[in-house]
Amino acid sequence: MSSTTNAAFPIPQATASAGNTGTNSKQSASSTGKQSASSTGKQPPVILCVGLRLTASVYTRKQTPYVINLDPAVGKLPFACNIDIQDAVNYKQVMSQYQLGPNGAIITSLNLFTTKFDQVLDLVTKRAPELDYVLVDTPGQIEIFTWSASGQIITDTLASLLPTVLAYVIDTPRSTSPATFVSNMMYALSILYKTKLPMILVFNKCDVVDAAFARDWMTDFEAFQDAVRADEDAGFMGSLVGSMGMVLEEFYNALKVVSVSAVTGAGMDDFFSAVDEAVAEYYVDYKPAMDKKMADKKEALQKSRQENLTKLMLDMAVDNENGGKEVKMSSTAINVGKTAESNFYDDDGANEDEEIFSVTLEDRSTPSRAADESFNRFLGKATSSQK
Amino acid sequence: MKHAILVMGPAGCGKSTFCSTILTHCQSIGRSVHLVNLDPAAEHFEYKPSIDLRDLITLEDVVEELQYGPNGGLVYCLEYLVNNIEWLEEQIENFEDDYLIIDCPGQIELYTHFPIMKNIVATLTKCGYRTCGAYLLDSQFVQDVGKFFAGVMSAMSAMVQLEIPHINVLSKMDLLGDRAESYELERYFDPDPNLLLEDVNKESSPKMHSLNRALVQLIEEFNMVSFIPLNINDEDSVTLVLSHIDNAIQYGEDVEPKEPKDMEDVEDDDEMYDF
Repeated sequence: MSSTTNAAFPIPQATASAGNTGTNSKQSASSTGKQSASSTGKQPPVILCVGLRLTASVYTRKQTPYVINLDPAVGKLPFACNIDIQDAVNYKQVMSQYQLGPNGAIITSLNLFTTKFDQVLDLVTKRAPELDYVLVDTPGQIEIFTWSASGQIITDTLASLLPTVLAYVIDTPRSTSPATFVSNMMYALSILYKTKLPMILVFNKCDVVDAAFARDWMTDFEAFQDAVRADEDAGFMGSLVGSMGMVLEEFYNALKVVSVSAVTGAGMDDFFSAVDEAVAEYYVDYKPAMDKKMADKKEALQKSRQENLTKLMLDMAVDNENGGKEVKMSSTAINVGKTAESNFYDDDGANEDEEIFSVTLEDRSTPSRAADESFNRFLGKATSSQK
Repeated sequence: MKHAILVMGPAGCGKSTFCSTILTHCQSIGRSVHLVNLDPAAEHFEYKPSIDLRDLITLEDVVEELQYGPNGGLVYCLEYLVNNIEWLEEQIENFEDDYLIIDCPGQIELYTHFPIMKNIVATLTKCGYRTCGAYLLDSQFVQDVGKFFAGVMSAMSAMVQLEIPHINVLSKMDLLGDRAESYELERYFDPDPNLLLEDVNKESSPKMHSLNRALVQLIEEFNMVSFIPLNINDEDSVTLVLSHIDNAIQYGEDVEPKEPKDMEDVEDDDEMYDF
């Protein structure tokens, strides 16, 4: 598995677009201030795409996208991307080497890639001043990303560094029955609550089927009710249609909803305006909450360190009194420290993932590490004095 | 009476472990149970399934021969099953008075984009089975009320189309260890919807409050609010889950409980939570 450190990928060329709806967007052209190498620490937004792929359409615009592919099983992509998980992890090899089925291999590939994610972040932050946005394509199996520890780590890590928004991309032609539509919206809600990131609902393939029906259902309760009644598959929902309709309406109000066609490029202006709005929301809603959470965790970490240090010193004082007995390290002192640190970013998922995670994603310049080092020196002194 | 439990949940939530745990438990209490595997991408089982979709078609076959990716391949397999549903009918018609535990694939697309699971439920019903759903959520992911809601919504996403009674299970409680306390999971075992709403409002921006309220109402109506904790190493925990399943199946059909508490017929709602 090659590492991603040599990612000197060429910037993908914007392809000549057919049927482009005239992108004279306010963000176009390299002559605007946005593109100038800035010392103002420009933060390009990260757009996490869940569901269908949006990537093809972004090349119809005159912007500099930075594309990251996280789908280990997608195979050859029809466009160039800057960072491809497939360069770092060979999906087929993972399957055979670890004797896994297709799903297990995707999860494991993602886990392995997550251990190298700091390198991805380095690359992205280095290029950040020149970028308009970063597009991240997630694995086709949605829940492998949304309900896995590594998916969560990747999402949280990105969101802690750059303004991150979610694009839930819907296969419009496949969502035309009220039953499947509702299922789809429920799942989008699930992701919204899990990540707490601003979300944009993107109805894709609008060249095939217009998404007007979807907007109707989400804004006009009677239209929704009629559709449910008319659909025999949705019979069961009959009694829930009232509450369901209300949820859809509130959902619509809480998000940005756009219709696009990745093929023709239609609607992409709307999409990027929605991204701008979502980024603003990120700064207002998400970032302060996240900063506070990090601060709280840091404080808790310091506190537990202090407590363990105190406990250790007490242990040693007692043993010294008993006449030079060997220092019995309270085993919790060291282990809790380590676990707490690996919990710094997030403390979920299988223990195995925590272990992989703690080794690579630590920021080397945090005060916590300094405290760690002085603690280790202290331990070194203590044990040697007992020999 | 023929009963079937559809075991559902995202990949990695512990469905297969759940199935084998219930199977072991049922065998120890003398109940006749059969394991049915409907996941074409399943890797290995502790027990050999009595019915296995992989006998009909496997994901590997589809991926190799038709050059599908794992996602498209999975959908193809399940659609293939639906188009050849007689195969399933033939397999299950041999069992009488038995419990079927059905391990379902995780992919949410099977619920959100295709009526595949609906068709399977319809087939079971046609064959005389009373079906109930068990949706599993990995308790390790339910760290706060926002994540709880996320779990509930993904459960609803799968269940909303299936007209079957269901239970919700918080799996892997045995793996929580120290974290159990901080997650405050008891909040979700039998929650008061108003408290839930308060909790989630505290954690979200004011913009989300009306959505929160609408959601709480919905999940309450759909009976998605309470979760049963499952610790596979604790016999009592397994018994509890099984009794909830039994109750859900019987309750869903408005049938008198098989073993009424007193000798008279009892039809109270309280029966649901007694065992």
